[in-house]
Amino acid sequence: MSAVLSARGLAKRYGKRTAVDGIDFDVPAGRIVGLIGPNGSGKTTTLKAALGLIDFEGQLSVLGYDPRTQRDDLMKDVCFIADVAILPRWLRVKDAIDFVEGVHPRFDRKKAERYVANTKLKPGMKVKEMSKGMIVQLHLALVMAIDAKLLVLDEPTLGLDIIYRKTFYQNLLEDYFDEQKTIVITTHQVEEVEHILTDLMFIRDGRIVLAASMEEIGERYTEVMVAADKVGAANALAPIDQRTVFGKQVMLFDGVCRNQLGQLGEVRNPSVADLFVATMKGTYA
Amino acid sequence: MKTMKWLLRREYWEHKGAFVWAPLAIAAAMVLLLGGGFAYSTAYGDIQNIRFEGHGLVSVNGLPPALRYKIAHIAATGYLGIAAPLFVVLSVVVFFYCLSALHDDRRDRSILFWKSLPLSDRDTVLSKVITALCVAPLITIVIGVATSLVLLVIGMIAAAGKGVNLFAPVLMEPNLYLSPLYLLAFLPLYVLWALPTVGWLLLVSSWAKSKVFLWAVGVPLVSLLLLTWLNFLLGAVSPMRFDIDFLGEQVVGRMLGGLLPGMWMSEVDGARLGQMREGLDSLLVLGESYRTLATPGVWIGAIAGVAMIFGAIRLRRWRDEG
Repeated sequence: MSAVLSARGLAKRYGKRTAVDGIDFDVPAGRIVGLIGPNGSGKTTTLKAALGLIDFEGQLSVLGYDPRTQRDDLMKDVCFIADVAILPRWLRVKDAIDFVEGVHPRFDRKKAERYVANTKLKPGMKVKEMSKGMIVQLHLALVMAIDAKLLVLDEPTLGLDIIYRKTFYQNLLEDYFDEQKTIVITTHQVEEVEHILTDLMFIRDGRIVLAASMEEIGERYTEVMVAADKVGAANALAPIDQRTVFGKQVMLFDGVCRNQLGQLGEVRNPSVADLFVATMKGTYA
Repeated sequence: MKTMKWLLRREYWEHKGAFVWAPLAIAAAMVLLLGGGFAYSTAYGDIQNIRFEGHGLVSVNGLPPALRYKIAHIAATGYLGIAAPLFVVLSVVVFFYCLSALHDDRRDRSILFWKSLPLSDRDTVLSKVITALCVAPLITIVIGVATSLVLLVIGMIAAAGKGVNLFAPVLMEPNLYLSPLYLLAFLPLYVLWALPTVGWLLLVSSWAKSKVFLWAVGVPLVSLLLLTWLNFLLGAVSPMRFDIDFLGEQVVGRMLGGLLPGMWMSEVDGARLGQMREGLDSLLVLGESYRTLATPGVWIGAIAGVAMIFGAIRLRRWRDEG
């Protein structure tokens, strides 16, 4: 199976500023990829290039299409929620469902109505009467009812409360996702998505600093609660990050054998957030 | 085709207020004021007030039959003229519709929602062109014809109250039924004349980051002013001059004024229309209007309009709305 998303030397410059600096990556089908990076690291720019919203340098193939020249074909199989997107104020819930059903061959009306029924949205309601969270709920209901091969979610849950966010990611995994589909997610709330991701991509200053599957990451990175008397020995193994929790040193190791680390203290898998912080150290310095 | 239907419906949803409710409100106001005026004149007016060719007409037996038919003819041929205010409003509404058509969704970022659906930029822009040039005028034509008919009936009732029965002669007049068709026959001509304006406004709407109106109106007017100033400066040293009148009429006029229905009348030979004696000769006006197509200006304008619409599509495709 060829890659759903494949970039070679993808670059984008805004004047003097380089937003994306010649990156290469492949996303195979049937994965849920978390694209994670600090503000201004080039996440959104990368996604916009993949969705044919901006011009770029290098090669990029999305579902076999070139997003620059074949966007109209591409959009039949791709759906996205952009981080700053908002629904037009005059749109009514029922009109929105009618419209998407009318123009999108892969839209499942029943599904959308079911999602809407789980919210406080009413069919006759206009977007301008909704709270920010309700607008996002409507947007998600519309997008989740589209059976797209590639779904791109750029900060999809901004403005939603935690209960709805949890339900959303659960729906995404149970109801939407299958091995034919690929999902790319960016979000600041890493903790909420880490258990559904199959792959992780860290991006920093327009470059990919880490791209691996969750299994690989589990094998490669280890977090150790180092016993007080073993700190010197642990430091000798060159931890990539360390912090203090309740007076105990917690160190993060990259590619050090687990058995060896087991002798230093309690071993566990690092959370994506901790890994992220360690990888991005000095970003804002 | 199916997508275009939904795109047009989307425009209708968004602009129902401007395209339907605004003309309906004006139509209602016209019926109230004018119809009320007719009714008032029935109640308190006097038949002596009817003047024809400068002479007051007083007759114990009412109006002479020939005159009655003449009035009926004028009413039956010209009744649509009363809807003129609606068409002036139409041009203003469509002008501002075009200005905001490709700008509002960029400003509120809802463009990213539309762009997440399988809608090509070409179809999106074309749906707005069709809305501006066909849908909005057709809605106004329907409302205008309906309003005119209501006012005609009120007027005839008022006349009947004065003992002048116009019903039979008016209803027998074929022009009564043909007038809406004549009105409809103006639409293709209107489209051609309006194309440069719609193209220009959509281009600015697709390009400008803000202050669309200032750009759209300011650029042509300031250019004209600058050229006038240049003429003044150059006049002292060289015989070469810009033809300001030509630029004003043929370029700026077409860029900004094409939406006004009947703009073509400025190119119609008035002397021919002056021959109309009895009522409005719709066929003559229609023929004379279409004769303006013999001049190259309309066609060059229409081609420029299409080119600017193409430019608007390209801009919409590549503008970074980040």
